[in-house]
Amino acid sequence: MGRVTGEKLVEARGLTKHYSNGVVAVQDLDLNVMRGEVYGFLGPNGAGKTTTLRMLLGLIRPTSGSAIVVGHQPGSPAGLARVGAIVETPAFYPYLSGRDNLRILAGLSGADESRIGSCLEEVDLTPRAHHKFETYSMGMKQRLGVAAALLKEPDLLILDEPTNGLDPQGMADMRSLIVELGKGDRTVLISSHLLNEVELMCTRVGVIQQGRLVSEGTMDEIRGATQLLVRAEPADQARRVLEAAVGADHVTASDGAFRVKVALEETADLNRQLVAAGVAVSELRPSERSLEEAFMALTGEKGGL
Amino acid sequence: MSATAATFRWELFKLYRRPAVWVSVIILLVLALALGYGLVWYIYTHPPARAAASLPRGASFALLKVGLYPAAFVKHTLGQWSTLGGVFALIVGVLSQGSEYGWGTVKTLFTQRPGRLSLLAGKLTALAVLVLVMVVALFAVDAASSYVVALLDGKSVSWPAWQDVAKGIAAAWLIFGFWAVLGFSLATIFRQSAMAIGLGLAYAVLIEGIIFAILGTLGSDYTKVIEPWFPLANAGYLVAAFGQAAEGSGAPAAAPLADATHAVATLLVYVATLIAVSAVLTRRRDVTS
Repeated sequence: MGRVTGEKLVEARGLTKHYSNGVVAVQDLDLNVMRGEVYGFLGPNGAGKTTTLRMLLGLIRPTSGSAIVVGHQPGSPAGLARVGAIVETPAFYPYLSGRDNLRILAGLSGADESRIGSCLEEVDLTPRAHHKFETYSMGMKQRLGVAAALLKEPDLLILDEPTNGLDPQGMADMRSLIVELGKGDRTVLISSHLLNEVELMCTRVGVIQQGRLVSEGTMDEIRGATQLLVRAEPADQARRVLEAAVGADHVTASDGAFRVKVALEETADLNRQLVAAGVAVSELRPSERSLEEAFMALTGEKGGL
Repeated sequence: MSATAATFRWELFKLYRRPAVWVSVIILLVLALALGYGLVWYIYTHPPARAAASLPRGASFALLKVGLYPAAFVKHTLGQWSTLGGVFALIVGVLSQGSEYGWGTVKTLFTQRPGRLSLLAGKLTALAVLVLVMVVALFAVDAASSYVVALLDGKSVSWPAWQDVAKGIAAAWLIFGFWAVLGFSLATIFRQSAMAIGLGLAYAVLIEGIIFAILGTLGSDYTKVIEPWFPLANAGYLVAAFGQAAEGSGAPAAAPLADATHAVATLLVYVATLIAVSAVLTRRRDVTS
């Protein structure tokens, strides 16, 4: 992963978007993305991810709130010169080749046209670069979108659902590509509704639900503290001992076992108490909450899985 | 290179490489050749029996043919193609903007470096160049056709003064430019091509004519006051200022209600207004698709 610094490349405060039909797409959203990190913007479909990214790119005007992206107002030419983006499906001119599409974008963005070859190489699209865009598969279109985003040598890459519509191999390839892109000083902001994808690629996550950011933090922070998994018989007796030791609020039953919120240094002492009370302990180990469990706890949804 | 200049350059590239643009231009030129000269010359040369009886008093096919010869090609081109050719310019204008919405490339363009208004300025400048190329090509095809017709009929060839040709090209550029900008603006307003072409064609074929027909039932005074402010009527006044291609070939046309200066000024105001509408929408509207 990249070298994360304290510099905020994206800072949004109170971003809100109300549409004229009464739909509230985004509500009072704060967002911070630091230089060098791969930030996952996670939420179920319709949560407001794309609207937020469009506001950060200046494609949509917020109803209220503000944002600074790479030190500039969203959509300002100076800011856009340092941002590469794919918003939803990559869109290019179907009657032109991939290379000609990139020539146009390089010309418009002021990027050096000599970079086209290396960008195509980076996304493994060189052999098909002279074919028309309309003949490309979904995976190739996505990769051309990434190549276009890289043309400007951007400080910030914004990728909206970059694996959408890809087959499993295409998804794996895209994930590897994004992890590669996130190395060094480059910052990547990815939106996704796929939990495993975010878990594999991102260093920090913001969870959005019904237009509101419900949680933001590192993976460990989102998952919460490591818990102790205890499997023991008889279960009633085990529960009594555990609750007496750490408090009823810190013990939850799950799949025939108990999850206990307790400092891991107390594992041996807890084991002694269980055995002393005549409980047979068959499993006792640290257990991390998966991102899916954390996501469900935060949003009440089983999103994207 | 400035943002607008870069946009202009790459918009021209897109238009030049787009098959639909070439198809539109080539169809216009083929129609000008085949219908504007070929078919008309054939009918005038081999008129159906009794066709002469249907001509206005004092007219003859020999007189009508004079309008096909090189000396009259500027008047012929303007008279025949100011509306029909304008429809092709409308289509090109719609293609230039409407397809960006259809393909979703608006968001791709707006996330590059140039600002929205720079992109719009570059796009409209490229469209103006394309329309000028269309007009010059149309005049070239008609000039060549008139030359061939004169040779076939064994007539001596005399060309209009170059100043008249230049004025004719400029007039056609303004008229076609109006149509192209109308198409461009309708595509911007509706964010698609189909609606823009449909409405543009409806205007070309029906709407202004219906308005004048209704006004006509109320009396000519209403028509005299209102008609000079409509774009197609002013295109007609501008064309009329060049005169008829075949003078004395029939009943004289009704005198236009305004002169060429009024027509040019009115068309320019329409073009400027349509561009302003496009600019406001382009600058302020959210890109949600």
